[in-house]
Amino acid sequence: MHRTGIRRFHLARDVEEALSLLSAYGGGGALLAGGVDLLRGPPGQVEGMIDITGIGLSQVGEARGGLAVGATTTLTEILKNPAASAYVGGILCEVLRQVAVPPLRNMATLGGALVSAHPWGDIPTSLVALGAEVRWRGEREGKAPAEELYRGEFRGLFRSAVATEILFPPWNGAFAYEKIGRARYDIALLNSCCGVGIRDGVVAWARVAVGARPDRGERLPWAEQALVGQKPRESLWGEIQDLVQGQVEVGDDRRAGAVWRRHTAGVLVRRALIRAAEKAGR
Amino acid sequence: MAVETRQRGAVGQSVTKVDGPALVTGKPVFTLDLDVPGTLVGKILPSPHPHAEIVAIDTSEAEAVPGVRAILHHGNVPRIPYTTAGQGWPEPSPYDTVLFDRKVRFVGDRVAAVAAETEEAADEALAKIHVEYRVLPTVFSPEEALASDAPPLHNEPDAEGIYDAKRNIAAAVDIPVGDIAKGLAEAPIVAGATCEIPYSQHAALEPHCVIAYFDEGGRLVLRTSTQVPFHVRRIVARVVGLDPARIRVVKPRIGGGFGSKQEVLLEPVAALLALRTGRSVRMACTRQEVFVASRTRHPMRVTVRLGAGKDGVLQALDMEVLSNTGAYGAHALTVLSNVGSKTLPLYNKARHLRFHGKAVYTNLPVAGAYRGYGATQGYFALEVAMDALAENLGMDPIELRRRNHIRVGETSPIFEKIGEGREGTAQIIRSCALADCLRIGAERIGWKENRGRRCEDGPWVHGLGMACAMQGSGITGVDMAAATLVMQDDGSFRLLVGATDLGTGSDTILAQIAAAELGVPVDRVLVYSSDTDFTPFDTGAYASSTTYVSGNAVLRAAQDVRQQILDVAAAAVGERTEVLELTDGAVQSRKTGKRLTLSEIGHRAIYVVDQRQIAATASFLCPESPPPFAAFFCEVAVDRETGVVRVERFVVAADCGVAIHPKAAEGQLEGAILQGIGHALCEEMLFSKSGRCVNAGFFDYKIPSSLDVPGIKAILVPSEEPTGPWGAKSISEIGINGPLPAISNAIYDAVGVRMIRAPFTPERVRFVLGATA
Amino acid sequence: MKVTFNLNGGPQYLDVEPGEPLLWLLRQLGMKSVKEGCATGDCGACTVLVDGRAVRSCLMLAPQIQGKKVLTLEGLGTVDDPHPLQKAFLDSGAVQCGFCTPGMVLVAYELLLGNDNPTRDEVAEAISGNLCRCTGYVKIVDAVLLAAQWKREGRWR
Repeated sequence: MHRTGIRRFHLARDVEEALSLLSAYGGGGALLAGGVDLLRGPPGQVEGMIDITGIGLSQVGEARGGLAVGATTTLTEILKNPAASAYVGGILCEVLRQVAVPPLRNMATLGGALVSAHPWGDIPTSLVALGAEVRWRGEREGKAPAEELYRGEFRGLFRSAVATEILFPPWNGAFAYEKIGRARYDIALLNSCCGVGIRDGVVAWARVAVGARPDRGERLPWAEQALVGQKPRESLWGEIQDLVQGQVEVGDDRRAGAVWRRHTAGVLVRRALIRAAEKAGR
Repeated sequence: MAVETRQRGAVGQSVTKVDGPALVTGKPVFTLDLDVPGTLVGKILPSPHPHAEIVAIDTSEAEAVPGVRAILHHGNVPRIPYTTAGQGWPEPSPYDTVLFDRKVRFVGDRVAAVAAETEEAADEALAKIHVEYRVLPTVFSPEEALASDAPPLHNEPDAEGIYDAKRNIAAAVDIPVGDIAKGLAEAPIVAGATCEIPYSQHAALEPHCVIAYFDEGGRLVLRTSTQVPFHVRRIVARVVGLDPARIRVVKPRIGGGFGSKQEVLLEPVAALLALRTGRSVRMACTRQEVFVASRTRHPMRVTVRLGAGKDGVLQALDMEVLSNTGAYGAHALTVLSNVGSKTLPLYNKARHLRFHGKAVYTNLPVAGAYRGYGATQGYFALEVAMDALAENLGMDPIELRRRNHIRVGETSPIFEKIGEGREGTAQIIRSCALADCLRIGAERIGWKENRGRRCEDGPWVHGLGMACAMQGSGITGVDMAAATLVMQDDGSFRLLVGATDLGTGSDTILAQIAAAELGVPVDRVLVYSSDTDFTPFDTGAYASSTTYVSGNAVLRAAQDVRQQILDVAAAAVGERTEVLELTDGAVQSRKTGKRLTLSEIGHRAIYVVDQRQIAATASFLCPESPPPFAAFFCEVAVDRETGVVRVERFVVAADCGVAIHPKAAEGQLEGAILQGIGHALCEEMLFSKSGRCVNAGFFDYKIPSSLDVPGIKAILVPSEEPTGPWGAKSISEIGINGPLPAISNAIYDAVGVRMIRAPFTPERVRFVLGATA
Repeated sequence: MKVTFNLNGGPQYLDVEPGEPLLWLLRQLGMKSVKEGCATGDCGACTVLVDGRAVRSCLMLAPQIQGKKVLTLEGLGTVDDPHPLQKAFLDSGAVQCGFCTPGMVLVAYELLLGNDNPTRDEVAEAISGNLCRCTGYVKIVDAVLLAAQWKREGRWR
């Protein structure tokens, strides 16, 4: 059990209060929502804990044809929400059902997963694949695609800003998610979230993301380009598998080696694409 | 058989666990659930180095931390070589450990200990103990350790019982029977396998913990999560230099052990901290400490070579073992011995045998007792080799087992040749239902219909595999248990046993054994167990001993009490005891029909005539170790593209004699099977280049969850063990021996590759598949 | 700092440390069914229900329960009057060492409150965050299904 150096606990009433507390602590304050990452590790330098679960950021709704999820919405709340379940054929729920285990999903929030951005996470790969846009409040309001955030200094940003909402755009097509872990409740040794839209018998758009490589989930634009304009067919999926196996950037960690990851990334992308294309074709 | 005619009552019934109501309502029955006011927190400073000499240790700054009450290290603690193995006297493990040494031998080894008023003060003090180390060269594998230029781990002059300390060999065994070279050379059909098992964890849910406090008389009480309370008392007394009579060890409910809590780890440290401070001290391992600094399974490489006639009957069986015991030799010799002694007798037809091996020191965590105790490692190689032999013979693997397995009335020279660190005991098999297990298990899994069909479902290919195993029931000539049974004035009973229920249900099973003899329901027998002040001796919960050894002690005590009850009743009704029957809570005369309830008899004995206490103490020394037998069958699906293996179905048919409590027996099998599936598919401790465990915790060392369970069917196939209490044998360990070989053999059936290194991770399976594709 | 919350049906008004884990607080309050098995949220032995949802009390700070309802196993039933779910665990042989049992019963309770006719797979999913090393989960799933049957038969109070 980690005894923390926490000296004060604040239940923030709104975003402004959370931000002013965060700023008052300098580097010694931390925003607490689900706590599953914040409280599991070593105590660190946190002096003031700022609970943001009461600042009105726990809601899920349709927005601009897509889905808007408040940052402190728990994964369980998303899973139980009809709008979230309906979003792009249920892809978000397909992913979330494979994240951690029920009691942790009762605690963990989408904003927390976004900000923690674990390289082995299921959620970062999916946010990138789905083109999720993140909104935040810091000194001023901001928004950016998750993908862009992850390419930049997002950890610095969220030391003085509150992620408020994650917006998932509408997609005319379908997605599928594939993951391999050491056990069924494990983090990913490798994961892939892929989507396709099919119009007039050809692939109109494609999204291909691979995560836990062991680096965080990223899109493979060259694989997407190779799909667009092609007829969905068995050989196409095989070609993409070969392409991914040839070009995907992977590495070793203690959980799996690069050779297996390279090979399996192609397999997972192919499987996700096949399932997505099947769904999109229906 | 005599047993058939006796009334069994509670035996064979899945009665409510005697400790169940308290457990299921969350009562404070575990070690740390007791709040002793004013208790200090004890913590251990682990070594950051895998191998180093302590040049200097400065505790002055740590002592100055407010709230710190004592600091122990090699400079202020007597140096007494011992073993943590928690075995009976004389201990077969080398005395290669002292409480705090001048040398550390693995990352996590014990450097110092602190007792402080609060967790924070203890942590701060640990951080302020300044230790100067002189780093020594390291060995991280048995091969490195055996190299001629390897640094010796145990060059201390006062160690005892190490086989060859200069060469880092903790223990060695070489048992030849017949002429193995000739046997293998002359056998028309041969096969073999070399299989490896890595470092793995017991992962009992309750971390190791202890509270040391003083009773009203100033005696030291150790309330501890242990499998061996009597050994704890004996060993702690010697190591801390206290009269054993001043120590009481109490084992409350414990949250699983699987062998890990046979080790005497925290108790002497807590005892010494309590003695130094005169205060109560509580110590608990963090989960990370449990991984690194408690005990693990012995990693091993086992090579089996088989030679058989064209009829499949084995002629030669060679088994060679290289065991990694880690930094200390806890159970080094006995686990090594059991690799052979618990496996080779299963196939007793071979006339030429050799069992040989070494257990070697390395600068890695310490291995110890773990359910299966070497047999698990041995069966992996033996049963994979048998599968290969069946293939070479063109024979069904079940038929090959049928032609070779031991049967009632038969023996094996191994029983006599290999014991627990010494010679064993000759014995013949008096009960064996393995033939039935094979038949019933094969039917249940659909062996004939599904074996060798390589059924495909997309990338998934299905396959079937099987394996057999036996274990033992206690250690012959070593395991002794005693029981005291007392009749109360209301006709109910108190059963006092030294036996240690570590969650297996042994308190319940022992109550059933007594209740059946006494003709009462189980709830008329109050069980009190595992308290060195109040219960008679028992060697403890290991070696699959409790039902058989402690159970026989209980049965003897119950038989004695039963006779005393009949004597009292005979005097009361004026008839001979021979015409009296004790059933359903009363004694009745077959001749006159006169009836006395147990309540009346108890009252009479205590208060009315010729007053006395109806009671008996009996003990039982394990004379032979009747093996339980099991046949394991499983269906796997292998994803050829990713290497993922799914266990789809698992069937185990096991002969544990008469199952005293069928649901508890099934539960032992189901739990052991899932642990074995974990070993087969995902469990492995990983180490950095500097010997630090990098996945010490459940986040990165996955044990199976409820989602990882295939359909497990545990089938109890009855036999009648004439030497067992009510016909019973053991069941707690055998189940873990099957999954590794059965799953490996099923993978072979599915995709034609032999997985010989556990765990069979997607990466390894894919690699092996890729090599053959 | 002061917190007010409901523990097993009774009000609590207490002074807590801001950094105190909920697990420690509950154990100090005598709720010894709340077990520490890993302190990193991985094992589930410290599971309690907060406002009806199973959570890891090792990953919560005491002040986070301000105004909430906390249920520990002590609040479900007693030795003399066990909850039917507890009785189902006993009858099914679902308890071996009993260390995971409090958390296991509580996640099963959460499931059955919302679903009194779960499939075997749904039960396995619901308890997947609670590790058990003794049973192989077989009889735990049996127990939850038995309790669900009793609930459908109106035998829950």
